[in-house]
Amino acid sequence: MSLLIGALTIGFILSLLALGVLISFRIFAFPDITAEGSITLGAAVAAILLVNAWSPLAATTIAVLAGMTSGAATGVLHTRFRINGLLAGILVMTALYSINLHVMGRSNIPLLKATTFVTRAEEAGSFLLGGRESLNLFGWDVSTRDLSVLLFSLAVALLVGAVLYVFFRTDLGTAMRATGDNSQMIRAMGVSDGNMIVLGLAVSNGLVALAGALLAQYQGFSDVQMGIGMLVWGLASVIIGEALVGVRQLGYTVTGAVMGSVLFRLLVAIALRWGLDPNDLKLITALFVFVALILPGLLAKVKMSKAGAAHA
Amino acid sequence: MLDVRRVQKTFNPGTPNEVRSLKGVDLALVEGEFVVIIGTNGSGKSTMLNAVGGSFFVDAGAIHLDGRDVTRWPEHRRAGMIGRVFQNPFSGTAPNLSIAENLALSARRGRRRGLGWALRGDLRSQIHEVVRSLNMGLETRLDNEIGNLSGGQRQALTLLMATWLKPKLLLLDEHTAALDPKSADQVIHLSGELISRDNLTTLMVTHSMHQAVNLGERLIMMHRGQILHDFRGAEKRRLRVDDLLGRFEEVRRADLLDETAAEMLRRKYV
Ligand SMILES: Nc1ncnc2c1ncn2[C@@H]1O[C@H](COP(=O)(O)OP(=O)(O)O)[C@@H](O)[C@H]1O
Ligand SMILES: [Mg+2]
Repeated sequence: MSLLIGALTIGFILSLLALGVLISFRIFAFPDITAEGSITLGAAVAAILLVNAWSPLAATTIAVLAGMTSGAATGVLHTRFRINGLLAGILVMTALYSINLHVMGRSNIPLLKATTFVTRAEEAGSFLLGGRESLNLFGWDVSTRDLSVLLFSLAVALLVGAVLYVFFRTDLGTAMRATGDNSQMIRAMGVSDGNMIVLGLAVSNGLVALAGALLAQYQGFSDVQMGIGMLVWGLASVIIGEALVGVRQLGYTVTGAVMGSVLFRLLVAIALRWGLDPNDLKLITALFVFVALILPGLLAKVKMSKAGAAHA
Repeated sequence: MLDVRRVQKTFNPGTPNEVRSLKGVDLALVEGEFVVIIGTNGSGKSTMLNAVGGSFFVDAGAIHLDGRDVTRWPEHRRAGMIGRVFQNPFSGTAPNLSIAENLALSARRGRRRGLGWALRGDLRSQIHEVVRSLNMGLETRLDNEIGNLSGGQRQALTLLMATWLKPKLLLLDEHTAALDPKSADQVIHLSGELISRDNLTTLMVTHSMHQAVNLGERLIMMHRGQILHDFRGAEKRRLRVDDLLGRFEEVRRADLLDETAAEMLRRKYV
């Protein structure tokens, strides 16, 4: 049971990463690898502030702002200096590796003694439950701490998803979606497509940094390596989410990204439980995304050739 | 209203692909003037509209719009004053956004975009009204993705979008060339209606001699990056398709003559 709760909690936390990737990959149509640096940046900034006794809210907020800055940097490299989007992301990601080391001052910061959102969620949970240590849920004993943290993560994921959905339907958010869709059109509507991309990547990496900040607090440490493979992880979540909801409509894709992240984390937890070597996890994630990317094309081809055969 | 002075534009300068698309063009439009541009393929018509619209900066010369020097303004800034419809019917709309969202974007052309709801209730009903006036039945499909519509339908909506906020200048670049004849008729009819309703200052490039003689109060003929003829007033009204074909024939012969003259000179001196 605690395995399930743990998987769900990480799934909800990483759904913020998926929402960030949704913006770069689905709106601007390029996978922004800055995410691998900014998720660590979020974790690093939050960790160093937390061990210096900042409040979890302040530390997390500053982590998000740092993530937004790194996204904006990629956006500026891409739009003002006309560097290919993927390359701009690689440059910023590489620079962030050094920056993250500087921020943390070492390669790993443990947070076991710091007051984090986990501490706060636990306090709130035990207050609501009148100080009980554990709770009986459908016949399972669940610790108050685990349950509170899960509910907190769920609440954050839902809140951020809802805010994002509303944002996409404002004047500004609609212009941002149109920018990825047809930049010539949005310029003719008086919007600087360059500014939109910078803003969009800032929002995207702000979300990714939020995921990093929360993940560090949940797992109890921040590590300079924790970003590796995170972009592909986010892509996998987005793709699973799209398969789950089936349509590309806005509200559905946002919900889908959250659901995809949770489902993917659950699948991984089950696979690990069955004895999958954790070292193979990234290989399998990459293979999964590869298959998901080529599958629609393959299916269309099969259909075509079947139709062709039927005609012949 | 529009003042284009000695504008030059060369693409790929200093390379084997160098093209001198505009060779010092002068053109002035007064407010409310509807000017049609024709010319041979590659004569610089689109380059001229793109230069005015701000798709790129010109190499020399100046462009003034409504008394302001916009020569160095980026495209999105000029868009506050300019409505545009492109030749490609897919260029003017965002395919994955709904019809209503596309029109809502145009209702704020050149204005600040903040965190207000894009499809406010009153705007929605205005959009419904305007789309209904097209008589294409699209008002029942406002929430459908615009990418599912035909080229003609999208071009008609692009026209609505370009003119929703009355632009100081409307640029139409062969906007019916990619459409089937029936849709082209519909769209050109709509263009005429909108232009005369709002008395829009308009530059329209066309490939159709028929449109060229029947529309607008002034006709400009371009050739090799220059303005060759400028028919106005009574002269424009008298112009028939045959006259235009005659002019094109003249141009063609003059070109041939040029080439034979050059050839003669080459033989003589080289
Ligand atoms: N963006 C561009 N890059 C390079 N060459 C261009 C570009 N736009 C136009 N040209 C060239 O400039 C010349 C004029 O083109 P254009 O203005 O499109 O002619 P048209 O009168 O047919 O609209 C052509 O030779 C064309 O190849
Ligand atoms: Mg052209």
